[in-house]
Amino acid sequence: MKRSSSPLLPREDAREAALFFVVCALCFLAALSGLVARSAYAAADSWTDRVTGQITVRVRGTDAQTQSAVEMAMTTQGIISARALTREESVDLLRPWLGAAGVPDDLPLPHLIAAEAAPGAGQAGAALGEKLTAAGIDATVDDHVVWSADVKRATDSAGLVALIAVGLLGATAVAVIAFATHATLLARRDIVELLHLTGAKDGFISGLFERRFLMLGVQAGAVGALLALGAAAFILFVVKQSDQRVWLLPQLSLSLADGLILGLAPLVAGVAAMVAAKVTVLRSLSEMV
Amino acid sequence: MRERDETLDEPAVRFDRVSLSYGPDADVLADVSLQLRPGSMTFLTGPSGAGKSTLLKMAYLALKPSTGRVSLFGIDTGKLTRPTLARMRKRIGVVFQEFRLLDHLTAYENVALPLRVHGDSEKRYRDDVVELLKWVGLGDRLDARPATLSGGEKQRVAIARAVVVKPDIIIADEPTGNVDEEMGDRLLHLFRELNRRLNTTVLIATHDMAMVRKAKADMLRLADGMVVRVAIPPAAPEEAPA
Repeated sequence: MKRSSSPLLPREDAREAALFFVVCALCFLAALSGLVARSAYAAADSWTDRVTGQITVRVRGTDAQTQSAVEMAMTTQGIISARALTREESVDLLRPWLGAAGVPDDLPLPHLIAAEAAPGAGQAGAALGEKLTAAGIDATVDDHVVWSADVKRATDSAGLVALIAVGLLGATAVAVIAFATHATLLARRDIVELLHLTGAKDGFISGLFERRFLMLGVQAGAVGALLALGAAAFILFVVKQSDQRVWLLPQLSLSLADGLILGLAPLVAGVAAMVAAKVTVLRSLSEMV
Repeated sequence: MRERDETLDEPAVRFDRVSLSYGPDADVLADVSLQLRPGSMTFLTGPSGAGKSTLLKMAYLALKPSTGRVSLFGIDTGKLTRPTLARMRKRIGVVFQEFRLLDHLTAYENVALPLRVHGDSEKRYRDDVVELLKWVGLGDRLDARPATLSGGEKQRVAIARAVVVKPDIIIADEPTGNVDEEMGDRLLHLFRELNRRLNTTVLIATHDMAMVRKAKADMLRLADGMVVRVAIPPAAPEEAPA
């Protein structure tokens, strides 16, 4: 006669369903915070990469002086390219602020030079500024160092805040799981006592709960991580729809690092649940003879 | 055959001046001493609240005495490590007064529980468990869950679970409290068979004096926190068989 053996612990009940929801929500928030933290750092890198080495020269003078300034830039140590922007390019830069009507033909525009410094040539902008002053050309050299440092500081702070949020959410998840495990154990005390009196070793009894809560944590964490992936994908979709200047926005690219964060969430949830279950069960068993 | 060197000359169960209290003026048992020789069958009687269940709990290692010593097979259980205590518990079959069946398991699975805990494979024990359940009259209730069983049926499942591992000691708390006389006789017969054939030490707490008289076994009486060995009293005229 073929008989099946039910698990020694009853299948999940309402308490575990509630715990599943809580762990799922916490993992969703933790994974999303992790993605935000990583994207904040990525955005900071992207912004600084974009502006590092870019030098903008605004010349208040004639076309000839502008051309001289370009030639001076090309001969400045550390600068690898320089060119004067055409009027059309300058108009394009102003279009977002002046609207579709564009720039009136008779509006005088500053002469702009876009130059690029070699990596590591941090003083090239200052050197060019000195050369232009010495040559009597009225110009302003902007190598974006000041504001890019401010942006980097701001994004680093945002990333740190997100990391702290991840840490807090993780700690909250562990505390909630421990609390829920204890509540579940109280409800299962009859089983624990019976197994204990039947001669089951502490590790055997603890193992039943550890496996149960490991699976619960992993499954709830996986659902939470998938929801976070969906939310991230939605944000990415919205960002992509905006316009070409997506590099100004956090880089939700769903890269390998993002995948790692999403993959880690269920594992961390599962291990946290398992450890919480083990500690709680063993503590409870230690109160028995 | 299980190693039982330590049991040859030692009592299976021994209480040396055992007391249990839950506070300064809350003694449940006071200075109790008793010995059960291996292979004996003993009934523990006494008025309700005398501490019979407490005494049994200490014998099946669910409680530690406040003072005194509880020994099983000559081993002072107070000195055992947790793993050794767990191994010792595997040698004890317990019939709890409140049955303690697991609601999510079937009658078959409840009886097989100790075997699963011991790590036995179902292939090995399946037929034994089915046979045992048939013997206690539950052959047609193998897949029934406790919620669908009557009190008497639950009690029989609990007894089957206690004896399925062929323990060295069986401790039963009111094992026939919820069964009719015929089933009571069958269960008593089961305990006696285990006692005689397997030399199992049996300790039964009961109010059922008719069962005690039928068993013709030793009888201890617990009253006022003290245990005394007493002769089995004769049946009152209204209890005597027709």
